Amino acid sequence: MANAHPPVVIAQGIGQITRSFLREVGSVFWFIAQTFEEMFERIQQGRVPFRAASFFRHTARAGVDSVPLVGLVSFFLGLTMALLTGYQLQRFGTERLIPGLVAITFTRELGPLITGIMLAARIGAAFTAELGTMQVSEEVEAIEAMGIGPLRFLVAPRMLALFLLMPCLSTVSNIAAIGASSLISKAYFSIAFPYFLDLVKDALLIRDIITGILKSFLFGLLIGAIACYRGLTVKGGAAGVGTSTTSSVVTAITVVIGFDTLYNIVYTVFFPT
Amino acid sequence: MVELRDVRMQFQDKKVLDGFSLKVEPQERLVIMGQSGSGKSTILRLILGTLRPNSGSIFFKQFEITRLQRRKLQRVRQHVGMVYQYSALLSSRNVRDNVALPLEELTDKSRGEIDKIVDEKLDLVGMKDSKDLLPEELSGGMKKRIALARSLVLEPELILLDEPSAGLDPVVASVIAELIIGLSEKAKVTSITATHEMDSAFRIGTRMAMLYQGKIIEEAEPEKFKQSKNPVVAQFLSGSTEGPILEDSQDAITKK
Repeated sequence: MANAHPPVVIAQGIGQITRSFLREVGSVFWFIAQTFEEMFERIQQGRVPFRAASFFRHTARAGVDSVPLVGLVSFFLGLTMALLTGYQLQRFGTERLIPGLVAITFTRELGPLITGIMLAARIGAAFTAELGTMQVSEEVEAIEAMGIGPLRFLVAPRMLALFLLMPCLSTVSNIAAIGASSLISKAYFSIAFPYFLDLVKDALLIRDIITGILKSFLFGLLIGAIACYRGLTVKGGAAGVGTSTTSSVVTAITVVIGFDTLYNIVYTVFFPT
Repeated sequence: MVELRDVRMQFQDKKVLDGFSLKVEPQERLVIMGQSGSGKSTILRLILGTLRPNSGSIFFKQFEITRLQRRKLQRVRQHVGMVYQYSALLSSRNVRDNVALPLEELTDKSRGEIDKIVDEKLDLVGMKDSKDLLPEELSGGMKKRIALARSLVLEPELILLDEPSAGLDPVVASVIAELIIGLSEKAKVTSITATHEMDSAFRIGTRMAMLYQGKIIEEAEPEKFKQSKNPVVAQFLSGSTEGPILEDSQDAITKK
């Protein structure tokens, strides 16, 4: 190894990173599959996979409690976007493009993406820390020892809550951003609210909305799975919980952005306008 | 009831069990003694199937734990109760919900029936008045008793206890020991206790086993065990600093 040529060392390094990345990706997908398997086994036995109370507690936490943050951040982004693009477009006399531009950008792209990043930081971190603490204090093992599937009991309600709530939060993000841009359009570019709405309706296609919603479902599932996976694989006590929580947020944000790009490429190739 | 055959278990470089074999008969109260870190808790986890051995077979009744699929293993675990060293109560649930958890998740019992069983088990461990408390509001001894109550709600045939009296005052340790004895005599429950605390070990056990360097080196009824001529057992029971236990540890340190 000491005598290896630099290109060999670089190739080995890339190989190792790729291998560990693929192993992680495989583990997360296996984790999702195992969670669904445990849930369906439970349904086959004629029982609910998890208690409704547990699911609603997580939906309230992940969804309802996230509305102010998602709404506020998206509102400010919508304001900024309308203002900055508006001034550029005004130079060409095309400021009436603002409503469509903000609506399409947020509905297709920024709404799900921003919401995904915020939920990865806010809820993903919380899920990882919570499950990680349970893991190091042997609570997860105790659940397993009782004969209760920890994946369907602990992971499924959290993952499903994020999966189902992400599209709702993306919609909140879209409405907040479009609302903010309507205020800017009225205040600085003299676009009246009814006209603004007409322009949004003209620009926005059903496929834009569907694209954003499908993306949101995918992001919700990925954030939930990564957060829970990192939590249940914590090693090394309190320090391990901290490391895993950081890693969970970084991984989830990177994966959300990566999958967003991949989704856009696939969508554009297979469903061109 | 339980049998381990030639079990080998290694964590990275550390050999924990090296050809370990053990048989536990129904209604027996086996106590496994050994130094801290000798692999006592590992044996309990192997019996539960939360750990898989590197080689060897583990049987609980007619089931070979090492070969069971997850679904079947989960069903088998419902016949085994486990009390962890640090109790492992779910910190976000109160005492009632902790004890009720296996009943809510694994049975079709109504809320009324569950409450009745929970009350009965909490009464058994003398904790009926603590139903609404959270684990953080309980002392170590109280947590242990709640963990014992939780392990009993499904009426298991086997109870595994990991250091049940560690960190408890002598009175609470005796209460726990009496509970375990009572269960074995009244409910015909078999128990395996892993401990290095002499008092509770000799109080609980109907058979004692000494784990040393990955194997059982002595196995006998409590009175015979106390008279053991094995130098390791003799040193362990006397707590002497002179003997093979420290010498072997020193050898291992020197070799490193």
